[in-house]
Amino acid sequence: MTIKQQLQACRSKEETFKALVSLSKSLARLPAEEKTEEHKVKGCESAVWLIEQDIDGACYFKADSDAKLMRGVLVALLNLVNGKSKADIQAMDLANELAELNLGSYLTSSRSNGVLGILHAMQN
Amino acid sequence: MAFDPLSIRSQFPILAQQAYDNPLIYLDNAATTQKPLSVLEAMHNYYLTANANVHRGAHYLSDKATDQFENARLRVAQFINAPQQSQVIWTKGTTESINLVAYGLEHLIQAGDEILITSLEHHANLVPWQQLAFRTGARLRVLPLTSDAEWQEELTHYFTERTKIFAVTQVSNAIGVHTPIEMLIQQAKQHGAFTLVDGAQAVAHYPVDVAKLDCDFYVFSGHKMYGPTGIGVLYGKHHALEVLMPYQTGGEMVSKVSYQATEFNVLPYRLEAGTPHMEGAIGLAAACDFVDQQDRQSMLAWEQQLANHVWVTLQKAANVEIYSPEHNATLVSLSVPNVHTLDLNAYLDSQGIAVRAGSHCAQPLMAQLGVTGTLRASFACYNTLQEAERFCDVLIEAIDLLAEE
Repeated sequence: MTIKQQLQACRSKEETFKALVSLSKSLARLPAEEKTEEHKVKGCESAVWLIEQDIDGACYFKADSDAKLMRGVLVALLNLVNGKSKADIQAMDLANELAELNLGSYLTSSRSNGVLGILHAMQN
Repeated sequence: MAFDPLSIRSQFPILAQQAYDNPLIYLDNAATTQKPLSVLEAMHNYYLTANANVHRGAHYLSDKATDQFENARLRVAQFINAPQQSQVIWTKGTTESINLVAYGLEHLIQAGDEILITSLEHHANLVPWQQLAFRTGARLRVLPLTSDAEWQEELTHYFTERTKIFAVTQVSNAIGVHTPIEMLIQQAKQHGAFTLVDGAQAVAHYPVDVAKLDCDFYVFSGHKMYGPTGIGVLYGKHHALEVLMPYQTGGEMVSKVSYQATEFNVLPYRLEAGTPHMEGAIGLAAACDFVDQQDRQSMLAWEQQLANHVWVTLQKAANVEIYSPEHNATLVSLSVPNVHTLDLNAYLDSQGIAVRAGSHCAQPLMAQLGVTGTLRASFACYNTLQEAERFCDVLIEAIDLLAEE
């Protein structure tokens, strides 16, 4: 099952929670030396670090968080954008894509988890 | 007689709903309480029968509105045992009350003066004083109060002849600890400092007697004591209110205006610029009625019993660090080693349980506790023992789901 299928199959908040916990395990954690202030995304109550790499014109992000569900959200987000060009990422409606993955509540409660800040950092 | 939350629960219809197919369990009462029907009806009736601008008394409705509005002031004065109703100033809430005092006293603060707060303060009782210190060259000092209430002997050293203001919370919003305010206020008074008590977390639970406390200022919000949002109170002793420079000016707070000069109105109006929050004040008076209609001693004992039940259950059953006292608190603030509080919060939410995760607007306190945040379950009179038990069960489930690796 793709990440999209996994998340779209969730029928309740509890199932989404469990799916994100499961997804979080596949995130490659960042070493301590890469978790710098510079890489920290502002506005997140859980700490989130995002590192952008350009490989032959394609964007690849590495990311980490101290909160498990956020790591699950990051897996879903990286899956959406990694390998695309910056212009393609900028053209995406990432908020809508997250809503389609049953992760809409992570946007409405953005004040506490700062997902909008992550989307902004990915597109700029 | 034991308090029965079910007898009043029907007055809070909002609690009867489902959250994601689970019965809603509302344990975020320290953030804001729900409102009984009597409060909603008081505000509704005001608009249905009495709405007009107050203090402009040239017609029937305006007289009616003014009467209800000023009676609300009297009701709040009785609620906190303020000697006179003119000692009750309406504000937006605790935060505005503290800012009003911080700006109002600025003309009396000089470089080198000291402003003393405690390590338990909410940002609302910290940042306004810090900014006042920045503006005046005064020094902000922090009295270290520990979470286990072992007040240090040397705390008297923090009160000096330079202490001009002492601002202290009555109950910590983040961890539920009580401060020994009577003793602290007496210390402050011996040094001639103005005293301000932040009662935001106290008024819903404990009978407040400002005359007995003998503080210069006492501040609280309506919405944390079953009243509406957007209304709060600054109580002050007359001489203390008189020295406050108005920090907002405009209509209602003046008695005579020309292009050359303005004469300010008398208290309480001098500190209430603009059209006030009339229905909020009337709703808050109804909230005072609601609280006073309860047997307050058994209501408080019930809330403390719920918090104690959670404290004891979790201490036994789970790997948790609890920052609240075992007894006499109405909330439980905790963290779980290696599990983020936001993750715990998300699982509780998925089961319909509302709590608060985060720093609780007390980041310096969190830093002292060595955490970025805690999970806080806070109780009100309408919470049941089943809800407290369900919270414990679901939290333990959440820890099991999140703690592996």
